Amino acid sequence: MRLAWLRWLLVPVVVVPLGWLLFTGLGRDPRLIPSPLVGKPMPAFAGTTLEGDQFSSADLAGKPAVINFWASYCIPSCVEEHPVLLDLAARHGNDLRMVGVLFNDTPDGARGFLARYGQVSWPNMLNADGRISIDYGVTGPPETFFVDAQGVVVAHHVGPLTASVVADGLALLGITP
Amino acid sequence: MRRWALPLALAALLALAGLAAVQLLRPVEPLTAAEQARELAAELRCPDCQSLSVAESHTAAANAIRSEIAELLAAGQTPDQVRRHFVDRYGEWILLSPTAPIAWWLPVAVLVVGGLALTGWLLRGRRAAAVAANAPPADDSLRRRVREELEELDA
Repeated sequence: MRLAWLRWLLVPVVVVPLGWLLFTGLGRDPRLIPSPLVGKPMPAFAGTTLEGDQFSSADLAGKPAVINFWASYCIPSCVEEHPVLLDLAARHGNDLRMVGVLFNDTPDGARGFLARYGQVSWPNMLNADGRISIDYGVTGPPETFFVDAQGVVVAHHVGPLTASVVADGLALLGITP
Repeated sequence: MRRWALPLALAALLALAGLAAVQLLRPVEPLTAAEQARELAAELRCPDCQSLSVAESHTAAANAIRSEIAELLAAGQTPDQVRRHFVDRYGEWILLSPTAPIAWWLPVAVLVVGGLALTGWLLRGRRAAAVAANAPPADDSLRRRVREELEELDA
């Protein structure tokens, strides 16, 4: 067979790329989606909070901000990260602003969650029409955005916050944890 | 029949190309806004379900995206602008079909390479058949020799 040597081309052309794809692809977390918002100005939002007040993204201006999307049905992830958020507010409440955004949740559900796991000092947007979630490209709670004092998104975390994730976010915001 | 095979194959291919051209060049009717919105919704991944498009889902996020599509179209945005609107927020992830050119060209490349290989293989078969047809018929001495050698092998 004159073309028998061609079969060796299968190794670099098929076997190696396929092997590489399987090797790297299978180890990836399908929930991890790189956010196109990082490095861009945060999308503006305005609306009513759980307390019935009006709140908008303009109220975050001038200080770094942490925007946390959550829901009362998001168990255990939102329950796990709740103490981390409370700790962040207690330690850095003066360095940054925090705002929660409900994701597909009812005000009563959210109030029940806070009554059970700890009241918070920051406003929580009702986000009843879901527009804030769309503008931030949120796929499911919890998700957290770190925004610098100029209003630019510097980090996006999918999944429950941990102390180390918060420390990384604070470092990007120029705040010593 | 045999010498008609190749012209017949070519004619069939030509007919196929003609049909494809007619299909592609046929004037398309412009879509209504509702049809356009439905088409866009079918292209977008529902953020809070598994492997469903926004058009197929009735979760809160899918409903919100559907109404946003309708609003953007009503505001005069083109379908491309609407697509970009969601890609800017969710990333390429939100699109159900990939935009990477390699994903679309790879099957075409495989088809072309496979077609060339098949053509080469068929032509070689024809050439080999022609060579065999032109070979001189075996004479008696050759037949005798083959028989002897076979007997030797059997022994």
